Amino acid sequence: MAKLPSATLRRAHLPSSPQQFTQCRHASLLRRPHRPYTFTQLVTLSDGSTYTQRTTSPQPIYRSTKDTRNHPLWQPSLDNLRNVEQDEAGRLRAFRNRFGRGWDLESTGEDAGSKEGKNAAAGSGADASKKTAAVGAGSDEEGSLMDLISGGAYTQSYQQTREASKGPKGGEGQGAKASAKDPAEDDSEKAKKKKK
Amino acid sequence: MTASSRGSQAAASLIRIHPRVCSDCINHISRPTQRSYATEAASLKPLDGPQVTRPSNLPPVTSHPGPAEYITKSGILLSRPPLLTRPPTSFEKAFFFYQKRLNERLVMPFSRYFYFKKDTPADTDWKIKARERNWQPARELGGYSPYGPEAWNDELLVGDKLSETSTIMEALVKDGQVRAVEGKDGKAQEAREEEKGKVEKPLGRITEADKTNDQKRLDRKLNRTLYLCVKRENGGWGLPSGALEGRENLHQAAERVLVQTAGVNMNTWIVGHVPVGHHILQPYYVDGKLERPGERTFFMKGRIMAGQANLKGNLFGLSDFKWLTKQELEDHVRPKYFSAIRNMLAER
Repeated sequence: MAKLPSATLRRAHLPSSPQQFTQCRHASLLRRPHRPYTFTQLVTLSDGSTYTQRTTSPQPIYRSTKDTRNHPLWQPSLDNLRNVEQDEAGRLRAFRNRFGRGWDLESTGEDAGSKEGKNAAAGSGADASKKTAAVGAGSDEEGSLMDLISGGAYTQSYQQTREASKGPKGGEGQGAKASAKDPAEDDSEKAKKKKK
Repeated sequence: MTASSRGSQAAASLIRIHPRVCSDCINHISRPTQRSYATEAASLKPLDGPQVTRPSNLPPVTSHPGPAEYITKSGILLSRPPLLTRPPTSFEKAFFFYQKRLNERLVMPFSRYFYFKKDTPADTDWKIKARERNWQPARELGGYSPYGPEAWNDELLVGDKLSETSTIMEALVKDGQVRAVEGKDGKAQEAREEEKGKVEKPLGRITEADKTNDQKRLDRKLNRTLYLCVKRENGGWGLPSGALEGRENLHQAAERVLVQTAGVNMNTWIVGHVPVGHHILQPYYVDGKLERPGERTFFMKGRIMAGQANLKGNLFGLSDFKWLTKQELEDHVRPKYFSAIRNMLAER
C-alpha cells in the first residue's frame, strides 16, 4: 500500500536547535462577532429634550424620571429641586411628637435650624442668624440623643423647663423654635394648596 | 544695538550671497531694528553704541502731563451655549439610514421570546405592531427585510422622506402607543381606542420665542450660541464693558461690570482669567488737544447657566439688551467693531 507523501516526507530539522518547533498553518477561522440586535430608541429626558440611541431594548420610547436635567447637583439654580421636607398629611409631625427628632438626618436638622435662624433674625445681620442656627443645632442634637434613651420624655421636660425659665436665650431655644416653626409650615401648606 | 539684531545682521550677510533668498527679506533682516518698547529708557540714558533713531510716527508712551490717552476696559462676551445639536445634513441622514439597513443584514436576528413571554399583552402588542411593518423588528426602516429576495433593495430613492428625522420620530412615537391589554379571561387582546392612551410627541426644535422672533429671550435659536448685546442710550449696540477700577484684574472687573450691567439675577461664570479678544478705540484730538481718550477693551469669556439679564438701574446708561447669534450681531454693531470681535465668536 502506497503511503501518502505527507506520511513519508518529513520536515527537515536543524540539528543545532535544542527545542522542537512544529509549525502549523491551518486556515484560521475568523468568527463573525456576536452582535445582538439593536433598536433605535427615543430617550426623553425629564425636561422634555429628546435624543435617539441604539439599544438592545425593544422599548421604543424611554422616559427618564431622574437625570441631570432635574438633579440639584447639575441644576444648582433651580429652587424647586431643593430638598424640602414635604409633610402635607402631618404624619412626620405626628411621628416626631411621639418619638422625638432622634430619627432625623443631621442635615435636615441643620436646614431647619438655618431656616429658623433666618425667620427669627429677619432684621439683624447674617452673623446673628448663623449664631442662632448653631445654637439651635447644638441643642437639637443633645435633645435627640436624650430622646433615644428616655423615649421622648426628655424633650417635653426640656421644653417645659425652658418655657418656665424664660431666660434671655429663650428666643433662640427650642421652645421658641417649635412655636415659630408651625406658622411657617402652615404658610407653606397653604401655598401648596393654592398651587393645586 | 541688541544681541539679537546683531545676530540677524550677521545672518543677513551670510544669506546675501544665497541665490534663493529674495532681496526684500534680506533688507528686512539687515535693517536696524526699531526699538518700540524701551524708547523712554533710551532717551533718559543714552547708550554708547550708535544712536537708535526714534520712530517719528509713534507718540511718546508715558509720563506726559494731562489726562491718560487710553482707558483700559474690561468687556464681557457672555454667551449661552447651544442646547441642541445641529440638524443633520441630508447626506448625514442618508448615510445613517443606509448604515442602519446594512446593520440589519449583519447583526443576529431579534429573538422575540427572550424579551416577551408568550401570550402576554406585551407579546400580543409586539405582534400587532410587527404585522404593520412587514414583521420586521426595526421601526424606522420602512419594513426592509434583510434576508428576503428584496434584501438587495436597501437604497432610498431620491425624495424619499424615510430618512428624515421627523419620520423616524413619528415611527417611534406611533410604536410607543399601547395596542394590547389584558382581557377579562386573562388573555391578551387588542386594545380599544380609549384604552390606547396618549403618547406625548417630543418637543420641537423651534420654540415660541423663535416664532415671534423675541430676541430678548434665552430660549431662542436653541442650536446656536447666543451673545448678550447691549445698547447704549443714544448710541449703538455692543458687548457690555466697563473701565477698570483701582487695582482689580480683568476678570474681577468683568464680574463687577456684569453685575452692574445686567443685575444679579443671572447664574454666570467667567471662563478663565485671560481675555479672548480686544477692541481698541483711538483717542480723538482737536487742534492737538485730547478731546476724548481712547479705549482699550479686553473681552473676557463668560457663560450663562440660568437667569436673565435685567438692565434696570444699570450704571452704564444702557437702554436695551438682546441675545443675538453671530450673524445677528453683525447686523447690529458697526462693521469696524465687528471685525475686532468676530474671531472670538463661535460659528455655530
